[in-house]
Amino acid sequence: MSLSKLVLRSMKKNMKHYYLYFFALIFSVTLYFSFVTLQNNTEVWAAVQMSGTATAGFKAATYILYFIVLFFVLYANHLFMKRRSKEIGLYQLIGMTKGLIVRLLAVENILLFVGAVIIGMLAGFFSSRVFAMILLRVLEKEALVTMTFSTQALMQSMIVFTILLIIVLIQMAWMIHHVSLLSLFSAAKQADERVRRFSAFQMVIGFLGLILIVYGYYASTKLFDIESAGNLFINMIIILATTIGGTFLVFRFSVAFIMNTIRLKKKGHLSIKDVLALTPIMHRMKSNAKSLTLITVLTGVSLGVTTLSYIAYYSSEASAYSQVPGDFILLEEQGEEFLEKLEENNIAYDKIDYRLQGVTAAVGQLMSKKQQDNPLYTMEGTIYTIPLSDYQQSVPEAKLSGNEVILTNYGGYMAEMFPLEKDHDLIVSAGELEETFHVVDIHDKSVISGIVTAGGGGPIFVVTDDMFKSLTTQAALYPWHHQTTITLKSNEDIATAEKLYIQSNAGIITAVDDKGQTKQYTQSSYEGKRKDNIESLGLTIFTTAFLGLAFLMTTGSILYFKQMSEAEEERDSYTILRKIGFAEKDIMKGIYMKQAFNFGVPLVIGLLHSYFAVKSGWFLFGTELTAPLWIAMCCYIALYTIFAILSVGYYKKVVRQSL
Amino acid sequence: MNYRKGRYEVTVLIGRKIKKVYGKKSTAQEVLKGIDVEVNRGEFVGIMGPSGSGKTTLLNVLCSIDFATEGVIEINGHSLRGMKEKALANFRREQLGFIFQDYNLLDTLTVKENILLPLAISKLPKAVAESRVKELTSLLGITEILNKYPNEISGGQKQRTSAARALITNPSLVFADEPTGALDSKSATALLQNLQNINETKEATIMMVTHDAVAASFCTRVLFLKDGLIYSELYKGDKTRQAFFKEIMHTQSVLGGDGYES
Repeated sequence: MSLSKLVLRSMKKNMKHYYLYFFALIFSVTLYFSFVTLQNNTEVWAAVQMSGTATAGFKAATYILYFIVLFFVLYANHLFMKRRSKEIGLYQLIGMTKGLIVRLLAVENILLFVGAVIIGMLAGFFSSRVFAMILLRVLEKEALVTMTFSTQALMQSMIVFTILLIIVLIQMAWMIHHVSLLSLFSAAKQADERVRRFSAFQMVIGFLGLILIVYGYYASTKLFDIESAGNLFINMIIILATTIGGTFLVFRFSVAFIMNTIRLKKKGHLSIKDVLALTPIMHRMKSNAKSLTLITVLTGVSLGVTTLSYIAYYSSEASAYSQVPGDFILLEEQGEEFLEKLEENNIAYDKIDYRLQGVTAAVGQLMSKKQQDNPLYTMEGTIYTIPLSDYQQSVPEAKLSGNEVILTNYGGYMAEMFPLEKDHDLIVSAGELEETFHVVDIHDKSVISGIVTAGGGGPIFVVTDDMFKSLTTQAALYPWHHQTTITLKSNEDIATAEKLYIQSNAGIITAVDDKGQTKQYTQSSYEGKRKDNIESLGLTIFTTAFLGLAFLMTTGSILYFKQMSEAEEERDSYTILRKIGFAEKDIMKGIYMKQAFNFGVPLVIGLLHSYFAVKSGWFLFGTELTAPLWIAMCCYIALYTIFAILSVGYYKKVVRQSL
Repeated sequence: MNYRKGRYEVTVLIGRKIKKVYGKKSTAQEVLKGIDVEVNRGEFVGIMGPSGSGKTTLLNVLCSIDFATEGVIEINGHSLRGMKEKALANFRREQLGFIFQDYNLLDTLTVKENILLPLAISKLPKAVAESRVKELTSLLGITEILNKYPNEISGGQKQRTSAARALITNPSLVFADEPTGALDSKSATALLQNLQNINETKEATIMMVTHDAVAASFCTRVLFLKDGLIYSELYKGDKTRQAFFKEIMHTQSVLGGDGYES
């Protein structure tokens, strides 16, 4: 029989196994090619009008994507080779040289690669259009894009996948050459070495793993505390090392240990779930620990990165609102022309006036006692006050008397990094005046423009009207005295109002500071600010989401592939169980448990990792944690669930066929 | 041996006109061509025959792992036909025991866990299960290895574990498919003596497929299959095992084939 005939026959026979590998390849090519096509589409970039750094980031993402693909394909190939170990052993047994087997499998692999690259590129070409549409949607750009087949993308993908093919062939040749005939036959068995007696040592190590993770989490919550700010980099390394190391130790020792303890307690009387979930997982933990750790960490990292960029994107509204708390903000009674124009166009709006009066204070005095050696503690700055009656227009339930004040407008990363406490006294001055404020409450409601507070989310004091009156004697010392917040009654008017705002130049504001100098400020509208934010963050979220998706699909597929081969390995057990009288349903109960563990545990630990990672520094990226975190996490949970369902389906098939 | 007659009075298994056809119409191959069989309580029945005669097919059909194309099978008054998958599985678990040539133990479970496996979803109190394990393992001589894994024990021990698992539910009928096939002659003899012992003391009903005349000589009755039909039947009666063995050998040589196929 000629080599080519043999190749074709073995491919035909192995279609079931190839299908898994083939799918992995097509998927990788599709992702890569669509990404590169997108990168090379000038039309998209013309519409996007991105800065140099953003495109550089996009390019860097291509490399990361390539490494994901590389890792994925190498892993799939490895798994695939292991499954075929018997066949390879058989070829050797009947007298084929290793060289011939390598050639045989190389021809198969090349055929597969060519097929996958062609299909993947076609799919990638079409999916790139979808991705382009998503990108433009994210950026809120309305442009119709026609995708042109980019020869550059074609060349780039061809080169990249040729290199990948060479690496895969080397891996394959290496695997065939470095494995003896005997171990080839038992490769499948080698994987599940027996875990038997558990020594105290293993128990201690497993426990240590838990402690490491908990410590890492604890350290991450303290990462941005003022005391440890100096060693940020070292701290981050420590956190990474403890959590990753801890994860491995937990998978390697704790899981098997805990399961064995449960099992020993049953004294031999196992339930069907124990038989199908507990004991196989326990015995596989030794060989699965590494890959589960990797998957968990990858899940954590990708989810963390996705969440952070999503927080930034998601917060574009909130951070715009903290800068411009209202559809339009007019300062110092300028922009009357804009209001007239609104009325001319019959645009209904609500208007709130805030009187402003600056004071000088060291707001650090409101920090907790243990932060008193913080340099900010005594640093003085200008803080504006507003009278209670104005504040009540937006917060009607607010009440004050005497020297009581409410600290409001305080949000964003300032509030996260420097939490202020109520029920403190605070000395403020304005010119010769000196007052002692008693802070009764702290609100994070945005009311005053970021221009007034010198950055979004700066603190504002709400004082009683009497207090305000006495403070206004020092009005000349501070530049801002009046803010008008305009909120449109109908969102449909925003586009028109936006035009009027620009026409009337209402955003250009002049103010006079205490030295009598005139300064010009640009107060953007809320919508303008939000669009600015979206444009600068849209590409980042798109890129990270794309990579996150690639990571997710990769880790999910790997878990699925692993389960497929585990199912095959355990087929005999199912046969036995069904013969001695367990129904498909009884067996599936155990399989559900097993899948819940196999997909659930890496997911849960990965979610925890990313939760603590995100929690430690999210406020640097945006103003909103909960919603983006939940949305990103739910996406991951949903996709993992899909993979888990797929794998349960595969098990079902195996169990059904096992008798 | 009059006292024994009483135990044979109850019929455990009835098979009528069992036919089994494999393949589609054009390539149909009739493996069982209408077999009638009856097994009474306390019997130790051997099924012999050259390869291709349908021994294992008959066993699989009788024990509900495979379906008969035609015919009636009743075990303890329950007809297998018309039973749903789930009901069949329950029936197998509660009423039948199995011993296979390649042991069919789960590698991830210890000997004790393997033995208790059929009780995994039963409501049997632990204490009862525990005492059954004790009784069976001491009968079979595997008390010492209860906490070992299958890969740590010998083939003979594995098969005795498998026998203990088959008997743990006090089944109405134990099916054994070439139980000595993978054992050396010493372990095989030990296992057969164990089975015979259990058959006599516990009145367990056993049906065993074998190609080995020595193994068959431990039975109380041997059926000979040829080309999908029962060719003849031998009763041990009050004969010695050696005499019964000779009789079996004789029938086998008449049957044709050397009888030592695998």
